[in-house]
Amino acid sequence: MSRFDYYDLNVHVLPDGSGSVNQMLSIANHLGYSGIGITNHIDREPPSDGSHEGIELIHGVEIEVRNSSRLHGFVGKFRKKVDVLVVHGGSESINRSAVENPNVDVLTNLPTGRDNGFNHVLAKSAHDNEVAIAFNLDVIIKQRGGRRVHALGHFRKNLQLARKYNVPTILTSNAMSCYDMRAPREMIALAGLFGMEEDEANAALSTIPEGIIKRNRRNTSTPQGVRIIQYNSQEFC
Amino acid sequence: MKVLPPTLRDPKRYLALELICEIRVSREDFLNEIFSNSAALIGDFGSSQAGIRLLDFNDNMGILRCKRGSGDLTRAILATITRVGGYPAIVNVLGIAGTVRSATEKYIEKRDSYNVPDDKHI
Repeated sequence: MSRFDYYDLNVHVLPDGSGSVNQMLSIANHLGYSGIGITNHIDREPPSDGSHEGIELIHGVEIEVRNSSRLHGFVGKFRKKVDVLVVHGGSESINRSAVENPNVDVLTNLPTGRDNGFNHVLAKSAHDNEVAIAFNLDVIIKQRGGRRVHALGHFRKNLQLARKYNVPTILTSNAMSCYDMRAPREMIALAGLFGMEEDEANAALSTIPEGIIKRNRRNTSTPQGVRIIQYNSQEFC
Repeated sequence: MKVLPPTLRDPKRYLALELICEIRVSREDFLNEIFSNSAALIGDFGSSQAGIRLLDFNDNMGILRCKRGSGDLTRAILATITRVGGYPAIVNVLGIAGTVRSATEKYIEKRDSYNVPDDKHI
């Protein structure tokens, strides 16, 4: 079928969204994803785990704060518990604290109104701290007219900054119900609307999210500052 | 009327697609959605260039024709469809082929229709 393993790292389930974990896994599997990240907002974590053949469930959380001073506390609290830590963007000060914290994986939901809250300074810190910028394609899918025009304009600008400062970018559906998901090829076609090349979009949906997951799974097994050089069990016998 | 010689005809691509929806959707409802979304996203000018036409559609599976080179744009239009006939829906493109026959044989014939699992049974 396809050469890549596709991941969508921003999916919401009950009680945050309107679909159950099993429904989401089933539809994502049908559409051709290898894994989805369940990132409910804090205090609305899913009550139970689900599983489905052929698809991986990645535990995550989405942190939404009104005041940037509270962000670091939440990040510290959830970092050890989840594999994907997503911050809901907002004003420039919130976005700034998110991209300046190396424990944050993804900055999502950048405002698409008049003020974008993202600029070259933040792009540079995002690159330094390896915080990925998410393009939420649900805005392009659901909105019509002026809002979509603004969103596409901001996405194009953010993509330009991301290219210039080499910031990792990912594509997400930000799905609230199972009918909000789209197949990977459709996501790539939608990304083409704001100027993303096909290979860029492929990476944004496969290798970059995969790298984020791997990085965090590795981090949890060995503490920071410790590196396993070689492990030979026979020497101890 | 003379038939246009093959060398002068526009090259086409055929998209095999399935509609994931609770109900069985009528052809008219689906067509309305395609054209209103196409007009909203790329306008009259773009729609005339993409040359979208729904050839066959029943049982939530169908073949859609577009001009060669506008396949990705057509996918993007189909992805912006959120509701058909008042019910939430996803259009999933199963594959693209150069002829109606190969699109049907490769992507449509072997597939069973898919429905979102009902949570009550789990």
